[in-house]
This record gives sequence, structure tokens and C-alpha cells, in this order.
Amino acid sequence: MSENKRFIVSSSPHVGSSLFTRRIMIHVCIALTFCLIAGVVLYGFYSLFLVLLAVFSAVGAEALYCVIAKKPLTIWDASAIVTGMIVGLNLPPTAPFYVPIVGSVFAIMLVKMLFGGLGKNFANPAATARVFLLLAWTTKMTAFINPLDYAGGKVTAGDFFSFRFIVDFADKANYVTGATPLATIKSDALAGATTTNVDLLDLLLGTTGGSIGEVCAVVILFAALYLIILKIIDWKIPVVYLASCAIFTLIFYKNGWNYILPNLLSGGILFGAVFMLTDYSSSPNTRWGAVIFAAGAGLITMLIRRYGGMNEGVSFAILLMNLLVPLIDKACRPKAFGYKKPPKAKKEKEVKA
Amino acid sequence: MRLKTFKFGIHPHDMKELSHDCKFEEMPTGEKVYIPLAQHLGTPAQAVVEVGDYVKVGTKIGEASSYVSCNVHSSVSGTVEGFVLRENAMGKRIRHVCIANDGKYEEDFLPPLENPTPAELVERCKECGLAGMGGATFPTHVKLETKTPIKALIINGSECEPYITTDYRLMIDKPQEVLQGIRYLAKAIGAPEIWIGIEANKSDAIEGMARVAEGDATIKVFGLKTKYPQGGEKQLIYALAHQKVPQGGLPSDLGYIVLNISTALAMYEACALGKPLFSRYMTVSGKGINRPANIWVRFGVPFVEIVDYLGYSDDVVKVISGGPMMGISLHSFMPVVTKGSSALLLLNEDEIRDVDPTTCINCARCASVCPMGLMPMMTDAYVLKNMIKEIKPYNPLACIECGCCAYVCPAKRPLVQSQRLAKKLIRERKL
Repeated sequence: MSENKRFIVSSSPHVGSSLFTRRIMIHVCIALTFCLIAGVVLYGFYSLFLVLLAVFSAVGAEALYCVIAKKPLTIWDASAIVTGMIVGLNLPPTAPFYVPIVGSVFAIMLVKMLFGGLGKNFANPAATARVFLLLAWTTKMTAFINPLDYAGGKVTAGDFFSFRFIVDFADKANYVTGATPLATIKSDALAGATTTNVDLLDLLLGTTGGSIGEVCAVVILFAALYLIILKIIDWKIPVVYLASCAIFTLIFYKNGWNYILPNLLSGGILFGAVFMLTDYSSSPNTRWGAVIFAAGAGLITMLIRRYGGMNEGVSFAILLMNLLVPLIDKACRPKAFGYKKPPKAKKEKEVKA
Repeated sequence: MRLKTFKFGIHPHDMKELSHDCKFEEMPTGEKVYIPLAQHLGTPAQAVVEVGDYVKVGTKIGEASSYVSCNVHSSVSGTVEGFVLRENAMGKRIRHVCIANDGKYEEDFLPPLENPTPAELVERCKECGLAGMGGATFPTHVKLETKTPIKALIINGSECEPYITTDYRLMIDKPQEVLQGIRYLAKAIGAPEIWIGIEANKSDAIEGMARVAEGDATIKVFGLKTKYPQGGEKQLIYALAHQKVPQGGLPSDLGYIVLNISTALAMYEACALGKPLFSRYMTVSGKGINRPANIWVRFGVPFVEIVDYLGYSDDVVKVISGGPMMGISLHSFMPVVTKGSSALLLLNEDEIRDVDPTTCINCARCASVCPMGLMPMMTDAYVLKNMIKEIKPYNPLACIECGCCAYVCPAKRPLVQSQRLAKKLIRERKL
């Protein structure tokens, strides 16, 4: 009898999109995997080891926190994997094994879980972890090496699978590059040169020194396209950020035109624009807020790169703008459709009285 | 043709292919009908029949009890058996008039109007108990008796809710009747222009309506982008006139009246045939129903008779009166067909999203699709913390409950429910 059947009763709407939190996180992981593959090809198997270590410690830290805090286990939403991957990809390919572990645990425990977990963190966990690691192990975090030289035909299986950096950066002298593109840009700008001596093709392909996931511009752009087409991230933040970086390069540098592309393609600008600035919980929820946020991050990035003491300023810029997000959102709160300001009759009366 | 539209909104799968080719069929009426006295927005009608009275099809059984109320008419001929308390679709127990159907369908119609004046048209609309048949069931005569001068009558043919194909079928099968009804409505309000807005996924309806309206310079048929909630009153006016209805205001403040296709047909039947509103066209669809159909059905027929007539499978998990975005889910088939029953949907597991909500990830998708420019995630967060005062700046009172936010939410949070709760609490506490 039809009357005895039981149906679900709930508030409308009764249908929904098929995009779930976990699916979003998995798509981001796929996009990050592109960057990881590029990193492994460029710097060898040890890079993969570092990133995996970061992922496992991130997931482990979240599970541990849930157990300690007696909270339901939240690792199944895959967001810890994303954080772990971003922490790992932000490392130089020479980092000792404890660096990704400390970074991931710091990101998950202190930045994410203590502030309420997924969606509640005030700052990007990975950017915070990178800044933390940079301050803790400045030399280790800036020890970049040249990529494996496939063209020279000198790459052996031993080179590719080498774990020589695992404990510490022992034979430093043999592997450090003369200067990363960022350092070249910095010194050229400081010297007042009208152009910088950086090979754009190297920057595009990533055949230069840098962090595991950040060097290969082509792959990052492809990952960005993947995420934007699947509507995982909004195009506004990355595009406005890049535009802002370009504009402030033009303003800050002498003959800025020559510095725009080297600046945009080197260091963490692209990676940060696609994966770190777009972090949901630490980016604004309002349309214009997102634009202001990205533009501000561009300004801070270029200020640090041009006038600051460091070569790189992306993670500091992200972190600083993260802290401004609540204010930005409040200022940019949209007016409801058809909203009219209530008449200010009251105030006038007060003035007269 | 350039398609008109509003800002933001979503693109759900329209699912109209299930029933858009089904011609209207008459739903056989059972032995008894239960006609509720409250089928419309406003105060319930006052019963004017007594137990044992003999009524015909179209006999008035309930009289409007206030200005914002509607007459209710019998849908069958037979004897009034009594007044029973039954649950309506909202789950509220209200008075229904139970009439035993004698199967003769003797008619008790009003005389057809010839060359009516606007006042006569409004009077007829009131007499026949017309209410907005898109689902909100606002008494039509109240809309027609507007004091402000009207620039245009906007006819809503967008039918943006997934699954529903009633208005589409009416525009295909009865374009002349619909158009005549629209003309009556325009005359009643003295509208110099008539704008008909139809979504682009109903291109043959756009062509059909344009064809019958050909040669009439006052009627314009517009194609609208297929986007939800295109049929929302404020969104439709914005799409066609590029004007925003002020919050708390009415479309008539801007000089527009919005009515839908079914209401126009009801107007035609009331004026040209003298038929009071005792039946409607509705869509019965969803993958749970064996034979999706567009039916003509008398008011007071319990849904159980409809689903038994068309057959349904065992895997039905959700029954909805109305569309899937704004309709009401039912716990049984006991409610009856009323003026607002635009559709009855039987959905199975694949069609609904029935998962437990997870934590908000602050992705701002809800704010990016909200056609009213709200921030549902903030309302949701504050409602959970019972911080009602803090919600005020996020203006939940402007929410039209279209459901776009909850549709796109990857955490599947019940955002519309939060908005409703916020509205209720703000009103209760008079914040």
C-alpha cells in the first residue's frame, strides 16, 4: 500500500550539484600532481619522497589532532592531503627529511586544526608553514640546486634515485647553482640594470633552480587551466594577482617592461596565485574583496622582491593579505538586490536637537 | 535573438525531457474529492455549503473571507459529505470539504463575458477564485487591482524549475487560449504593453507564442537565457526591464505586474467560458514514476490516486509537490491537488542529493550564485551560533529562497533552511 511507504522529508532544494568537498580536494590534488611530476622529473626521486613525507605527516597530524581533541576523524575530506602536497612542493629539492614533517605538522596542527579545522583557518596553512620553515632553517630552505641535466646525458639512475640530501646538505659545494633566477633579478634590479639576464625558456620549462613545485611555469599554467575549467577555483584571484604583480613591476623597476615576464614566471608567484591565494577559507568571500585581496598581495610581493631583504616575497604577501581578509570582506559586503539605503531621517533630527 | 537574463544564478539539469513531449491527458476523478478551504496565500475561505448540500461542478463552496483570500469552488458534482481535517502539503492539518462524486459532472458555470470592462474582468477573476498558479498562489485579483499605473504586463513563461513542463505544454497546445487570457489580464490592469518571457530551452514555445501574437504590436515575446531562477519575479523584471524591484517593494511599484502562463489560461477560462477555477494542469514526473505525464486534474484529488493511475516504482525516496528547487517534500501521498500544485515529482536515489552536511569550507560558491546578492554562508554560520543580531547586515530578509546556494554548496549545507530560520528569528525578535 502506498500509504505505508516512507519518504525523505527535508527543506528545499531537493536536488544539488555533484561537486562535494572531497571531490574538490581530489581535483586540487590532481592539479598539484602535475606540478609534482614536473618537480620529480627535474630534481629526481628525492623530491617525490619529500612531498610524500609532507602528505603523510599532514594526514597523520590531522588524525592525531582528531584523536587527542576527541573530534570525529576529518581526514577523509582529503584537505590534509592538499595542505601536505602544497607544503612539500614549496620545499627546495634539497631539504632534509625532517623539514617536510615539521612543516606539515605545523601547518595542520597550529594553523588549521587549532582554529577549527577545514574552512576555519585564518591563514593559508601551507604559506604559514613555508614562512615558518624559512625563518627556522633559512639556509636549508634556500639551498636550491640545478635540475638534472638530461641534455648533457649525464643523468644516471644513481643520480635520479639519490637520497644524498636526506640527513643534511652534505656536499653543498657540488650542487648549489650560481644563482636562482630570483637572485639574478634582484641583483640586476639593485644594480639598476635596464634588463635582467634570465632565460625565459628556462623559466617556462623549469630548467633552473627553485622549489620542487614552483619552477615549471608551463605545468602550473596547465594546472591552473584544469582548475579553472572545472570551476574549482575562480579565475579572478590568480588573474588579478598576476596583473597586479605586472603593474607593480612596471612601477617599481627601472625599464619595468623587461622585468615583467622574468618576475611573473620565476619563484612562487604562479604557484602561489593558483594554489595558495585561492585557498577557500583564507581568501575573501566577496567578489570585490577577492579583487582587492589579490591586488594587495601583488603589491606586497613586488615590494618585498624589489625593496625587501629577501629574493622572494610570495608567501609573506599571502600571509599578510590573509590577515586582512575579514576586514576586506566586511568592507566589500555586497548590497542585496534591490537594496535601498534606509533614509537618514534620524540622524538629521539628532543634529538639529 | 539576444537572450535576456539576470545576474548570477545556476544551471541545474532541467530534466524536462521526461515529460515535455507528453500531451495533456485527463486524470480520472475518484469517488470522493477533498477540497481544502485554504489553497492560496492569505486567509482561508469561509465554507458556504453544509453537509448534505448538492453541489455542481463550479458551485462556490468557500467564500473569500478577506481581501487577500480566494473563493473556492467544487470540482465535481455530488453531495457534500462533511468537513474533514487532512494534512496539506505543508504538513498542516486544515479543513477540507469532502464531496462524494456522482460522476455526472453537472456544470454550474458563470455566463461568459462579452466585451468586458476592466472592472468586470477583475470582478470575474475574484468570483472565479483565481490565484497565481506558479506555486505561490497569491490571489490574482489583488495583483490586478493595483493603484499604480502599469507600464507592462509581464507574462512569466520561463518555467525555470527543473522537471516541470506544464506551462510549456500550455504554450504549445493552447497558445490561442493563453494569449486571449493574457489579453484579458492586460485589459484588467490597463497595461499598454505585454511582455512574454520564455526560457531558451523552450524555443518552440517562443516561436509558437510569437506566431499567435503576430500583428499585435503591444505584445512582445522575449527569449530568456536558460538559467535558474529566471522565473523569479524580481529576476524576470530585471531581465526584461533592467530595473530592480526595491527590497520590501512590489513589482507594481515599478509599473509591472507578473503573472504566469497557467494563470493566463485560468483567466481565459473564467472570462470566455465562465469556468471558475476548479481544475489545473500539472506535471507528474521524476524517475520514480512509471509514466511521466502532463495531466488535467480537478482540485481535491488526492495525490495517491494520481500515482496509482500513472504507476510508480519502489525505489522512490522523495516525493515533492512543486519543483525540486522550491517545492515541498511530502511524507505521504495523502495531500490533494490544489491551486498551487504545479507538479508532483517522485524522485529516486540518483536524482536527489541526500547526504549529511559537512563543515563549511568557505568556498563562497553560495555567495557567487545568489541572485539576490546575499552571503548565505554568513547567515548559516551565525544561525548555528544563535547570533541573530549579527545576521542583520547580511540581510536574510531579502532572500527569495530559490535554493541556488544550497544547490551549489559542496558541503551540502542546508543554507536555505538557515535563511528561513534567520528570517523567522529576526521577525520574532523584531530586530
